Amino acid sequence: MTRKLPDYANDESRFQTSRSTLFVDRLMTVFIKLGGVLVTTSVLGIFAFILIQIWPLFAPARIEEIKSVQLPQTPFALLGIDEWGALPFLVEPDGRMLTVDGETGEISEKNIDFGTPMKITAATLNKREQKIIVGTDDGRFSIISPNYTSIESDGSQIIKIDPQAEAAIPLGLPNVPIEDIAYGDSGTSKLVVVLQSIDGKPHLSAAVFKRKKTLMGFGKEQRVGTYDPTPLISGRPTKILVPGSGDSVLIITDDGRVHYLAVSENGFELRQTFTPFEDLPDRHIKTAAFIFGDVSISFASNSGANRVFSLYYPKGRDQRAFGLTHRFPDLGTGPTFLISTLRNKAFLLGGGSELSLRYSTTDSIRWQEKMPYNVVNAAISGKYHRLVVLDGTNRLHFFKIHDPHSDSSWKALFSKVWYEGAPEPSWEWQSTGGSDDFEPKYSLVPLIFGTIKGTFYAMMFAIPIALLAALYTSQFLDPCFRSVVKPTMEIMASLPSVVLGFLAAIYIAPLIEDQIPSLLLVAVGLPIMAAITGLVWSRLPIQTRQWIHPGWEWIVFLPLLLGSGWILWSLGPRLEAACFLVTDSSTGLKSADFRAWWPIVTGTGFDQRNSLVVGFMMGFAVIPIIFTIAEDALSNVPTSLITASMACGASRWQTATRIVLPTASSGIFSALMIGLGRAVGETMIVVMATGNTPIMEWNIFSGMRTLSANIAVELSEAPHHSTLYRTLFLGALLLFMLTFAVNTVAEILRHRLRAKFKTV
Amino acid sequence: MPAVLSEPVSSDFPTTVNTSTDGRPDFISIQNFSFFYGAKQALFDISMDIPERQVTAFIGPSGCGKSTLLRNLNRMNELIDGIRHTGDIVIHGHSIYDPLIEVISLRKRVGMVFQKSNPFPKSIYENVVYPLRVAGQKTKTILDETVERSLKGAALWDEVKDRLHESALSLSGGQMQRLCIARAIANRPEILLMDEPCSALDPVATVKVEELIQELKSQFTIVIVTHNMQQATRCSDKTAFFYLGRLVEFADTQKIFANPSNKQTEDYITGRFG
Repeated sequence: MTRKLPDYANDESRFQTSRSTLFVDRLMTVFIKLGGVLVTTSVLGIFAFILIQIWPLFAPARIEEIKSVQLPQTPFALLGIDEWGALPFLVEPDGRMLTVDGETGEISEKNIDFGTPMKITAATLNKREQKIIVGTDDGRFSIISPNYTSIESDGSQIIKIDPQAEAAIPLGLPNVPIEDIAYGDSGTSKLVVVLQSIDGKPHLSAAVFKRKKTLMGFGKEQRVGTYDPTPLISGRPTKILVPGSGDSVLIITDDGRVHYLAVSENGFELRQTFTPFEDLPDRHIKTAAFIFGDVSISFASNSGANRVFSLYYPKGRDQRAFGLTHRFPDLGTGPTFLISTLRNKAFLLGGGSELSLRYSTTDSIRWQEKMPYNVVNAAISGKYHRLVVLDGTNRLHFFKIHDPHSDSSWKALFSKVWYEGAPEPSWEWQSTGGSDDFEPKYSLVPLIFGTIKGTFYAMMFAIPIALLAALYTSQFLDPCFRSVVKPTMEIMASLPSVVLGFLAAIYIAPLIEDQIPSLLLVAVGLPIMAAITGLVWSRLPIQTRQWIHPGWEWIVFLPLLLGSGWILWSLGPRLEAACFLVTDSSTGLKSADFRAWWPIVTGTGFDQRNSLVVGFMMGFAVIPIIFTIAEDALSNVPTSLITASMACGASRWQTATRIVLPTASSGIFSALMIGLGRAVGETMIVVMATGNTPIMEWNIFSGMRTLSANIAVELSEAPHHSTLYRTLFLGALLLFMLTFAVNTVAEILRHRLRAKFKTV
Repeated sequence: MPAVLSEPVSSDFPTTVNTSTDGRPDFISIQNFSFFYGAKQALFDISMDIPERQVTAFIGPSGCGKSTLLRNLNRMNELIDGIRHTGDIVIHGHSIYDPLIEVISLRKRVGMVFQKSNPFPKSIYENVVYPLRVAGQKTKTILDETVERSLKGAALWDEVKDRLHESALSLSGGQMQRLCIARAIANRPEILLMDEPCSALDPVATVKVEELIQELKSQFTIVIVTHNMQQATRCSDKTAFFYLGRLVEFADTQKIFANPSNKQTEDYITGRFG
């Protein structure tokens, strides 16, 4: 039964590598390479995707001419366009309306039925109402509704116009031509202002109409007063502007001044007179228009200077006044018209052959070009996607506007911007508002600030606790406890942050809210108590200390510290009663309330969901990470160094601070940086435990909004490819770059530290 | 955290010396000493007297307990868990296990050099003054003087005097070990324990360390553990041979190597086992 063994001694195959070994080796080499390449490509792909999403935010507007149509050689009183940009209209002085089909170029004419024939001497478009007001040569005015209708048929859209004129109403001097006219209508009150002149002297007339609002809708319109604001004006009026609210009028005079008159109980009162181009040699205002929202006015001077004035409450005043908020570069030539859009804060300034599309909020020129013809008038569609320009030869040019992110620029995202109604430039984030004419505020600075603030408070809380705990666990605690403490902390690290956030918002925030003095006492008192305990312990006779085996000291200290913590906590109300008194202004009674005391003393707010809660809870999320990595680093310090230090007669504390800590510094640094990265990117805790208020103050008792929380909060509100959508992507990129920068710096420093403290 | 802020004076190691009649005090007296790592007994009932200002070598095969005994002389073994001992070790007539004595002050008195050189990741200067720093010495002149004296004592001064503030880790292996010796003698201990100080060194560095031991003998009581019989003959005055945790023979070095009274000793030193 002897099996013949192979003759190994002469078997050449023992020097060969089996085919399967080689095959697996090559396969795995290729597989790993492929995996690496795929991972790198995906990361770069994500990066590229984000960049592609962000790029349009910084792109300028694109405007292309589609076609042009030659119009009859008659003068026009007005040029307007519908919401869809398909059927622009022109009003002729004799009351006829010309429409031009944007698709076919077909020109058609309609007579507006005024009842009696009249000659139009002034016409103004009320953009908000989509109505035209015309003034006649005999001192009457009429409001015309173009009545656009859009009919969908066979997938194509047919736009029709059916202008209807209201009965002409006399206003001002009878039988004197109206030179300029404007009106505003808030629904319940309407203001019409006309400019006439008699014997070369200007004359202004204003009429106020009121309508009652009932359950059945608006009641019948009634004229409640007719006024003559001329005496309030010095200089010769050249242009009238009335905001949509119909509660005031701005009259521009030929000396370059603007008179701001408000409708009062009986007539008008002069609120403010200002000169937009006071510091320029040529102060004369050539043209002006309200920017969408009717809070800001863009003025253009004779020489082409361009400034925007906004209504706001100047500091220390209780009445709104106009102030210079935006300056634009000169047009380069004398302007002829300035029109605003119905979509955003953009306006188009035209003069000579220059066309310039500008955006008020960000002081930016979105687009400017020299045309091969002189521009006379223009109109922008309600959707801000079509532009028609009338040239000096009565040719109507059709343009396509591609400017989806007119409200975005470097300035809008990162610089202080003077928003409408604000008394000064500021960094603001407020992506949506209550009305269509809301000015979106896309500054990322408050969000970056919020991220830094949240991280700062979290790290303030987490770093001392985590590092001291790691030092204690690795150097002082008996090893049999270490094997319990470490896994427990690691389990803590795996707690979902949504649970921590939930706890913070529902439990911790209300608990802390009225216990701030107790918290203060514990935060200050407990470390002091710990230090005193340590001091007393070290002074105890050696016999007493020998009762406790080294590494078991916590058995004595823990009850001591818990007890003193409890005492300090319960002393909180007394501290509050002693230090944080507020006097009720109506009753004169004093009461102890930190929540009321803090805003009075510091001038900053006190919110229930504040940075303290976030710092505390986010600290909880970060502590296990820092602890685990730092503890590993400290435990990995070679025993030979510790024994060497001990043999030199160093105590455990001296060994820990002088040898172990510096040697482990690179690992501890990594721990801190990984903790920092976690705190920077942490989302759920911040979303739930702060008020998500994008404010910029270091106050620990106010909330904040971080970049990550901002993405979580606003994503569902952001329409696809909107400015907000892309700005959120930019926020994501910033977050990525922030963590990337932190990690890179950390890695460089870590290498330096490691080189410095490398062990043999 | 129990920070030992300063040493209470009462727990310092006593300094009175019991002088014996022959002028060579029985400086370290090990009395019926047994030592256990958990359940395993490492040393069996050792009794010996180590004389002052002489070099005593501990020899024996690996695992014989010579290093364990050495590490007990400054209680370094206490860094390990689950150890216990019976018997006593007496220095200056005082038990090192006296509960009233801080182990730190014992270690200041009994310096140690390890088998593997273990300089701190600090500068050469800071390595040498470390024992003084932890003892609270801040005076610059004293620190400077100590560095020069210790480095000269360790025969390293000429090699490093121009780069005292460079990292200790830039030194060669032999220089590092001599730096560790300089560190061990910086605070002028009375006893210097050396645990196979040359086992990781090349022959040239070994010679330097051995010469150093001869020079240090005049100031310190030296106990050296070595595997190298030639080293023991070259630099020790007395030699103790350990085998399986027991002290087999302890006598003058010349006698042990020339005329061992024990068969096991003879077998070991003649290379028949070990």
